[in-house]
Amino acid sequence: MATPMVYLENLTKTRSQSESVFELQVSSFAVYPGQLIAVIGESGCGKSTLLDLVALVMAPTRVAKFQVSSSTGTPHDVAKLWEQGDESKLARLRRDHFGYVLQTGGLLPFLTVRHNIGLPGRVKGMGTDEKRLHSLAKRLGVVHCLDRMPISLSIGQRQRVAILRALAHQPQLVLADEPTASVDKARARSIMEDMHTLAREEGVAVVVVTHDVDLIYERADAICSFETTQVSEQVSLSVCQQEQVK
Amino acid sequence: MKSRPLALIPGLAAAHLRHEWILTLCLVIALAAVISPLLVLMGLKHGTIQTLRERLVEDPIFREIRPAQTREFQPQWFESLSAHPGIGFLTPTILPLSSVINIVPTGQSKAELLDLIPTAPGDPLLLENNGAIPMDGEVVLSSEAARRLGVQAGKEIIARVTRSRSGKSENAEIRLKVAAVLDSRAGSLARVYAPLSFVLDVEAYKEGYAAPARGWAGDTPEPYASFDGAVLLLTEPLEPIHKTGLIINTGFGRISDLPLDKASALLGFPVPGQFTAYDLGAPGASITISNLKAIEQKLRGQTRLLLPYALNISLEHNGQSIRPVGLSLDQDQAALLGLPPSPWGAFGQNLPKGKLLTSVLWPQKEDQGEDNQSIQVSSSGIHSLNFPLHITGTSTLTSPVVPVDLMGVLRTATQRGVLFNEESGRFEMSRGGYRGFRLYAQSIDHVPDLYHMLKEEGIEVVAEVEAIERIRVLDQGLGRLFWLIALLGLFGGTAVLVASLYAAVERRRRDLGVLRLLGFARRHVFFFPVVQGILIASLGLVAGFLGYGSLALAINRSFATELGQGESFCVLPQSYIVLFCLVTLILSGLASLAAAWRATRIDPAEVIREQ
Repeated sequence: MATPMVYLENLTKTRSQSESVFELQVSSFAVYPGQLIAVIGESGCGKSTLLDLVALVMAPTRVAKFQVSSSTGTPHDVAKLWEQGDESKLARLRRDHFGYVLQTGGLLPFLTVRHNIGLPGRVKGMGTDEKRLHSLAKRLGVVHCLDRMPISLSIGQRQRVAILRALAHQPQLVLADEPTASVDKARARSIMEDMHTLAREEGVAVVVVTHDVDLIYERADAICSFETTQVSEQVSLSVCQQEQVK
Repeated sequence: MKSRPLALIPGLAAAHLRHEWILTLCLVIALAAVISPLLVLMGLKHGTIQTLRERLVEDPIFREIRPAQTREFQPQWFESLSAHPGIGFLTPTILPLSSVINIVPTGQSKAELLDLIPTAPGDPLLLENNGAIPMDGEVVLSSEAARRLGVQAGKEIIARVTRSRSGKSENAEIRLKVAAVLDSRAGSLARVYAPLSFVLDVEAYKEGYAAPARGWAGDTPEPYASFDGAVLLLTEPLEPIHKTGLIINTGFGRISDLPLDKASALLGFPVPGQFTAYDLGAPGASITISNLKAIEQKLRGQTRLLLPYALNISLEHNGQSIRPVGLSLDQDQAALLGLPPSPWGAFGQNLPKGKLLTSVLWPQKEDQGEDNQSIQVSSSGIHSLNFPLHITGTSTLTSPVVPVDLMGVLRTATQRGVLFNEESGRFEMSRGGYRGFRLYAQSIDHVPDLYHMLKEEGIEVVAEVEAIERIRVLDQGLGRLFWLIALLGLFGGTAVLVASLYAAVERRRRDLGVLRLLGFARRHVFFFPVVQGILIASLGLVAGFLGYGSLALAINRSFATELGQGESFCVLPQSYIVLFCLVTLILSGLASLAAAWRATRIDPAEVIREQ
């Protein structure tokens, strides 16, 4: 198999909130190009934490190995970057390789849909491919929304626009955090399907965090699940397992 | 294409402000509400001070320093003062009483008594009040003088100078052209401005002297003879009691016995033995004919000789020093001393006429003067004198003999200005000092310095120092007031900006987190509030200047009646505007630092899931 885009080994993340301590342990996690990985679990099991760690916006407490590789270049040692506190380099990895879909879209309310979609490309320093953008928008059925402000869109439209934004700058990995949590089941299914199809076509790997197993199960290449134990009154431990499905 | 996230920040920050335009507008209005009044205040301060200053600067009256008392100023004083920095114009003036002149417009008979004031090229009072500097034969009139005379520039007037001499009234007339009429600003008094030379001639004529250049008859100011003391020769010695009584009320201060040999040395010829000699003197003062007459009066009836002497008078002739003997004896006096009578007669009230004053009896044994009718000699004094001595005979003494009057005149020349007029062959008193001056400083800023300098010299002067100082004090006071208000305003404006920008960051935590997620680093989002602060400040400045502009216009309009051409009460120079904008922008940048710091502290992982 090819080099994993994201690879991490023996990661521990400890978060303490007032008196309770939550610890997430990941023995190994890998994302290969083009894969769809489902992160499934009840709320509070640490799936968002895992996503933030992969998204390079949360520093791991301990990690044996943490690499992000682009299709061409050498792998980047994320563990070392965190250690050095090289925030700029991490930001560059984010903008060059990753796309994001947040629970409620995460669109910037002060930019039009078109500018929202174009922003990751501009940050990355590549021009906006209007034609591609247009055809993607058409596929997602939001082409008529392009010049509107996010506030005027329905939640479903916003999520589609968010997916469009995540893909527009041709990242290698899209991270989606409960992209369908705020829509009804039928719409959720259609959104998920669109995202999956587009990712396939673009050859982009996707990591989806969801609590809805049905929605993703048949499509996923690998599944991450969590086993939560209450160690003591204060300390809870969650162990993440990744298993290949296909 | 290179990735430059920082370049995108201003656009995003501006888009955010536009999106929240109501909040932005409120902020801009709040800032403008601080900026406008500050600008108006600054404009008012600058405008009023400038107007007041310009009024002072424009009117030469405020640059004038006038003497407050009449006293004598020597020509040398004028020379040294005019070299002083800060002096714009300086001319001597004459006694106020001597400066009244009768002016008759041509073709009329009614005369007006006007004040005659000397002027000279560069006189700011004339030049800056629509006048011109009068040439010889011209005058410039003050507006009041022109009104009284009913003449305008270009017309001719007749100046009549009157005097009374030996009981008779005399007058001289001269036609003068009115070169210009001054604006009323130059003063409300009726005045005639004329070149100094004309004014001096008028003064001289009034004092009884002639002004030959103008054809005005009169005396020449003749120097008087003065002496150091006198030798009294008596055939009968004085009783001691009479001795001291002799000099009471005569102007002499001292009488002492004088051995005959010393008397001979003082007088320059041997004194016969039958006389008793006394030395009469007035230490520290000069002896004149009136003092001598008083003594003569007291000794009436006695056989006596009262011979004045002047010490240390010597003449230069061909590099040689001559010590002449001054002797003026009539027949009787000469007989008493056993000497020939003087060809110029006895010493008396008037100086010997014509060439008699400069006559000399040359000693026989010296050959140099024998063929010549006259020899040229010089003497030192206030002015060095060069004059001929006319040899009219031979001296029986070893020294040349001259009229004692000449010795007296030469002695006077060591204390007062005496000149020898070659044309008339006579000595004349040169002009003494002037009785006042007209002085203008180069600028109002030079006035206080000159004012204090003259005061230190002991000259009482009057100047508009107070008006100038008042403006300075007002400027300082207004400046302090302005800074107090400005401080308050700037503090308030900055606080508003700090709070709003900080609040905006708090409000937009999630959006800033998303920006971070999209690949902006901490150092990029730092500039998001900074740009917003500067943008808001710029808009506030624009709005503030619009407010200031309209208010300043209204203020200047409403005070238009009080203001002259080109004057305004509320005005700001460009440098102030640039400075103000710069300070505002810098302050807004500083005000955004707290918000900027807050923005960098945002942890995307914590905020992106916020609703």
